[in-house]
Amino acid sequence: MAKEKEPKVKTEKKGKKEKKKKLPFQRTVSNNLFSLKMIWLASPLYLIIYLGSSVTYGILDFLTTGHLLRKIVNGVESGGSISGIITYVAILGVICVIYYLSMNYYWNVISQKLWPRITSSMNKLLFKKSAEVELACYENPEFYDRYVKAMDEATNRLYKVLNTVDNLVMKFVSLSANSILIFIIDPWLILFGVFPFLLGFFKRLDNIANHKMASEHKPSQRRANYVKRTFYLNDYAKEMRIGGMYVSMLRDLKDAYTEYKRIARKYGIRRAIYQYIQRIGLEVVTILGAMLYSVWSTLYVGSANGGMSIGDCIVVLGAIGGISHSLNGLIQNFAEFGEHALFLEDVRFFLDYQPTIVDGDRTASGEGGDIEVKGVSFRYDGSDKDTLTDIDFVWHKGERIALVGVNGSGKTTLVKLLLRLYDPTEGEISMDSTNIKDFTLSSYRDGFSTVFQDYKMFSLSVKDNVLLRPEREGDRELVENALKESGAYERVSKLENGIDNILTREFDDNGANLSGGEQQKLLLARVFADPTPFVLLDEPSSALDPNAEYKMFENMMRATEGRSVMFISHRLSSAVLADRVILMDNGRIAEMGTHAELMEKDGRYAEMFRRQAENYLGSEVSASE
Amino acid sequence: MSKQKDKNKRPKQKIFDIFKNNFIMLGKVAKHTPEYIFLMIAEGVVWGFLNSAVAVFNYTLLNAIDEKGDFEYAVKIILFMAAFDILAYAFERWYWCVQNPIIKQKLHMKMHRELFVKARSLDLSCFDDPEFYNDFVWAMNQSDRRAVEVIEDTGKLINRIVNSVTLFTILITVDPIVALILFLSSCVAIVCNLIGNKIGFEHDKEGNPIWRKNAYINRVYHLPDYSKELRTNRASELLIKEYEENIEKQVKMNIKYGKKYFVVYGLGWQGIGHITFFGILLYMVSLLARGEIAVGGFAASIGVIWTIRSTLSDLIERITKYSKHSLYIEKYLEFMRFEPQITGGKKDIPEFESLELRNVSFSYEFASHPKYKFHSKDHKVAEGAEGKEALKHVNIKISKNDKIAIVGYNGAGKTTLIKLIMRMYDPTEGEIFYNGVNIKEYDPEAYRERIGTVFQDFKIFATTVAENVMNGAYTEDDEQRVLDALASADFTDRLKTLDEGINTHLTREFNDKGTNLSGGESQKVAISRVFARDYPIIIMDEPSSALDPMAEYNLNHSILHNTEGKTVIFISHRLSTTRIADKIYMFDTGELIEQGSHEELLKMNGKYAEMFRVQSEKYQRQ
Repeated sequence: MAKEKEPKVKTEKKGKKEKKKKLPFQRTVSNNLFSLKMIWLASPLYLIIYLGSSVTYGILDFLTTGHLLRKIVNGVESGGSISGIITYVAILGVICVIYYLSMNYYWNVISQKLWPRITSSMNKLLFKKSAEVELACYENPEFYDRYVKAMDEATNRLYKVLNTVDNLVMKFVSLSANSILIFIIDPWLILFGVFPFLLGFFKRLDNIANHKMASEHKPSQRRANYVKRTFYLNDYAKEMRIGGMYVSMLRDLKDAYTEYKRIARKYGIRRAIYQYIQRIGLEVVTILGAMLYSVWSTLYVGSANGGMSIGDCIVVLGAIGGISHSLNGLIQNFAEFGEHALFLEDVRFFLDYQPTIVDGDRTASGEGGDIEVKGVSFRYDGSDKDTLTDIDFVWHKGERIALVGVNGSGKTTLVKLLLRLYDPTEGEISMDSTNIKDFTLSSYRDGFSTVFQDYKMFSLSVKDNVLLRPEREGDRELVENALKESGAYERVSKLENGIDNILTREFDDNGANLSGGEQQKLLLARVFADPTPFVLLDEPSSALDPNAEYKMFENMMRATEGRSVMFISHRLSSAVLADRVILMDNGRIAEMGTHAELMEKDGRYAEMFRRQAENYLGSEVSASE
Repeated sequence: MSKQKDKNKRPKQKIFDIFKNNFIMLGKVAKHTPEYIFLMIAEGVVWGFLNSAVAVFNYTLLNAIDEKGDFEYAVKIILFMAAFDILAYAFERWYWCVQNPIIKQKLHMKMHRELFVKARSLDLSCFDDPEFYNDFVWAMNQSDRRAVEVIEDTGKLINRIVNSVTLFTILITVDPIVALILFLSSCVAIVCNLIGNKIGFEHDKEGNPIWRKNAYINRVYHLPDYSKELRTNRASELLIKEYEENIEKQVKMNIKYGKKYFVVYGLGWQGIGHITFFGILLYMVSLLARGEIAVGGFAASIGVIWTIRSTLSDLIERITKYSKHSLYIEKYLEFMRFEPQITGGKKDIPEFESLELRNVSFSYEFASHPKYKFHSKDHKVAEGAEGKEALKHVNIKISKNDKIAIVGYNGAGKTTLIKLIMRMYDPTEGEIFYNGVNIKEYDPEAYRERIGTVFQDFKIFATTVAENVMNGAYTEDDEQRVLDALASADFTDRLKTLDEGINTHLTREFNDKGTNLSGGESQKVAISRVFARDYPIIIMDEPSSALDPMAEYNLNHSILHNTEGKTVIFISHRLSTTRIADKIYMFDTGELIEQGSHEELLKMNGKYAEMFRVQSEKYQRQ
C-alpha cells in the first residue's frame, strides 16, 4: 500500500552514499579476491586457463617486441650467423601462430561451456538469497537500490575482475621483462619509466571529478528517462494523446539538457586539465625524455665512452613508446580494481545479509489448527505511526472470516503478518499454541494458499502457474479440475497448448495475455489445486464482473469446505457469506461478529453495508429502516 | 511486404544500402548538430595527420641514428615533436572532455524530441501490435546511441584512413613488395570480418529469446512485484529449473556459433595476420643480413609495420561496423517514415450539440496499419480479439446535457466504444458524427480537446498536483480552477495533508520528496482533470474502480453536482454507479442489446435487470 510506505528512512541515505565512494584498501583487495573465489569454486579449470594464458601472452608479447628487435639488431651488428636469427624468428612465428589459434579456439568454443557454469552458480546464489530476505528490505530504498545493483552487476563484474586481472598479469609479465631488458641496456632509463607513477595523483583527481560529475548528472538523467517512458509506454499512450501534458514533458527534456550542459562544462574543463597534465607527462616527459637521453648517450657520449651502442639505442627508441603506454595502462588497471570493489561490495552486502525473519526449528504439521493473534501491533520501518494496533482474535480451524474496512485500514498488512512476511512489532501470532516464529518458514507458509491483491503471473505455463512446484504424476488432472472449479478452464482450453501454454509475452511471443478477471480466476485455481489448511484471499474478485464474482464466491465456499478461509473484500455483499466479519479501522479491530450480529449492533459496519446497498436498492432500504 | 521476409533479407543488404543508410543518419546528425559533423571531420583529418607525423618522426629519428649520426639534428627532431605534442594534446583534451560530451547530449536531446513527437502522432493501434511496438521501443532506446556511433566511427575512420595512407606511402618507398603483401592480407581480414559480422547477426537473432528469458527470470527476482509470491509458494524452484534449462540451451548455441567464429576470426583473420607478419619479418631480416637496409632503417620499417597492423585492424573493425549500423538505421528510418492513419481534416470544430454513432463496427484485427496487417495475421495480435468484432453495428445518439451510462460485463466492448468516440481508432465500419459532421473531417487534436476523459488505466505524471490536474502547463492564474476541480473530485481532505498543497510533487520518479498517492487518491486526481477544463463532453471509464464504498458514494454525488450543463458518459460494470444516468446502454459481446432509463430497463426484465439483480441480491438477503 502506497500510503503506508511513505515515511521512509531518507535522512541517512545521503550520508551513507557519500561514504560508499571509497573502500579501505583491505576491503578492495578482499572484494576482488571474493570474485576470483566465486569463479574458482564454480570452475577451477576456467580460472587456471585464464591466468595461464595471461602469463603466456605476456611472455610472447615481450618476445615479439623489444626482445626480438634487440636479438635481430644485435645479431646483425655483431655479425653473428644470419641463419641462426632466421631460425629463431621462424620458430617464434610458429609458436605464436599455434598459440593464438588454440587460444582462439578455446575462447570461442571450449570456454563457452565453462563460463555459463560460473554465471549460473552466481545467479542461483543471488536468486535463492533474494527469495530469502524479508519483504521489509524491498521497502527500504537504500537496501533495494544496492540489491538491484547487485543483481544487475554480479556476473558482469566477475568477468570484469577477471579481465582486469588478465590485463594486469599480461602487462606485468611483459613489462618486467622489458624493464629488465632496458635496465641491462642502461639503468638510468628506468627513472623515466617511474615518472608516470608520480602522475597518479592527477589520475585520482580526475576520477574524483568524474564521480562527482556522474552523480550530479543523475537527477537530470532520471528526468529525461522518465520523459522517455511517458512517450513510449503503452500505459501512458492514451493520456499523452489528450491534453497538453506532452508539452510539459518536452519542456522537461529541454531542461534536463540545459542542466546537463552546465554540469558537463563545469567538470569537463577540470577533467581536461588533469588529463592534459597526465598526457604531457607521459608523451613528452617520459617518452621523448627517454629518447633524448638515449640519443644523447649514443650520439653525444658515444659507445666508446661508455654510452649506448647504436643497436641498443635503436631498441630503446623502438620499444620505449609501447612500454610507457602499457605502464600507463597498468595504473589504469589498478584503478579498475577500486571500481570493481565498489560493485562487489553491493553483491557481498546482499549475499552476507542475514534476514531477520528466520526459520524456527519446528516443522509445522500440514494439518493446520487455530491461529491466535495476541496483542499484535505493527509498524513499518521508518514510519512514525502503527499500521496495526492491539489486534486480538482467534481464527478457529475451519472458520471463514471476512476482513473488511476502508482503504488503508491495515487489512493487507494483517494478511502479511499471518504469512510471516513480517514479524509483529509487539505481541505474537501462534498456531496451535506454538509461536509461528518457532516453525520453519517453508513448512509454515506451505500451509497457506494465498491470492494477493497485487498478484503477478509468472511467464511459465498455465500448469506451472497453478501448481507452483515441479510437476508430479497425476498433476494434469489436478490442474484441470482446479481450473474447472475456479471457472478458468473454459478460457484455458481455448489456448493453443491448453494448460501447457505459456502465460504473458515477457519472452515468448506466443504467450497468452489473459485479462485481469481471467488471471484472477486462474490464481484461484491455486487454492483448489493445493488443499492447504489455510486460504488467504486479498480482494480476489476485484477484476471480476458481478456475475463472475457471484459464481466464484459460491464455488469457493463449496470447494474449501473444512479449510480455514480469510478473505478481504471491498464489497460487503460477499461478507454475508462468512462465518465471522472483522471490520478494521485505522489499524484496529473496530467490530467483530457474524453479519447478522453486526447488523443488529447497528454500528459502522451496518452503516457501510447500508450505504452500499442503497445504491442498488434505493428507497427500499431506507423504507425498511 | 511482410515483415518476416524483411527480416530474412536483412543480413544480405546491398553495399549501396549500407552507404545510403549511414549517409542518411549522418544527414540527420548534420541537421540537428551541424557543429558535430564539422568537429568530427576536423578531428579525423587533423589526428590522422598527427598520428602519421608521429610515425614519420620515429622513422626519421631511427634513420638518423648511425655511426655518423648528427646529435643536434636528432635533438631538433625530438624538441619539434615535444612542441607539437604540447599544442595538439591541449586541443584534443579540450575537445573530448568539454565539447564532445555536450554536443553528444544535444544530439540525444534533439533526436529524442523528434522521436517523441513522432511517437505521439502514432495511432494507438500501433501499441497493440507487439512487432511494431518492439521496433518502436528499440528506436526509442537505440537510435540516438547509434547515431553517435555512426558519427564517431566516421571520425575515427577518416583518421585511420589518413593514417594508413600515409604509412603505406612510407612503406612503399621502403619496399613495395612488403607494402603489397600487407595490403593483400588486410583485404583478407576485411572479408573475414564481414563474414564474422553476418554470423554475429544470426547469433543475435537466434539468441534473442534465450537472453530475453534470462532477463525475465532476473527481473522476477529483483522486482518487488513478485516478492510476496516468491516467498509464499514454491515458484522459485520452478524458475531456477527453467533458468538452468535455458543456460543449457545457451551453451549449445554459443558453441555452435563459437566454432564458426573460430574459423572466421581465428583461422582467417588472426592466423593469416600472424603468418603475414612473421613472413615479412623474415624477409626484412634477410634484407638486413644482405646489407640492403641499415639497422636504423630496419627498426624504422618494423615500427611502421607494427603501427600499420594495429591501425588496419582497427580500421577493419570499424568498416564492418557500418553494415551493422545500417541494419539498425534501417529499422529507425522505417519507424520515422511510418505515417499515422488517423489524420484529420481542417474543419473548425463548432460548439457541441450532438454526437452520433451510426452503424459502427470495430475489430482490433483490422486496426493495425496495412503494412503490419500481414504480419499480425500469422502472429495473433490480440488474443481472443482475433477475427472477432469488438463492436457490432452500434447506433447511439447523444445530445447536449445528456447523462448516459454504458454498462455490460467484462469484454462487452465498453472501453472500445470510448476509444472510438475519442478517435483513438477509426471504426472498421460505420461512421461517427459530431454535430452531424463525420469526426474524420475535424483535426483529431482539436476534436479530442472537446472531450474530457478519465481512463480506466489513467496515469499520474511525475510532476506537481497542479500540472496533473491541468494535464499540462500550469500558471498561477489557474490556481482557483485547480482547487475547484480537486474539490469536485472529493480530493480536498487529502490535499490539506500535502505540505506544498497543489504544488506538491507526485510520485518518487525523480523527486525523493515526492508523494505517492494510493490508488483511490490517484483516481481522484485523474477525475479532477475533467473538471479543470471546460469540456462539453466528459467520459468516465470505471471512475470508481479503485475506491472504497464510502468514497465511491461521495464521488458519484459529486460528479452529478458538478457536471450540470455538460454531457457525461459513464462506463461501469457496477450498476450501482450507473443507475443515476438518464439513459443506460447495455452492451453484450459488442452489441447494444438494451437501452433506456434504469426503471425502464428493470421493467423490461431483460439482461440488465438480471445483472442488476445478481449484484443487489446479496444486499437484499439481510
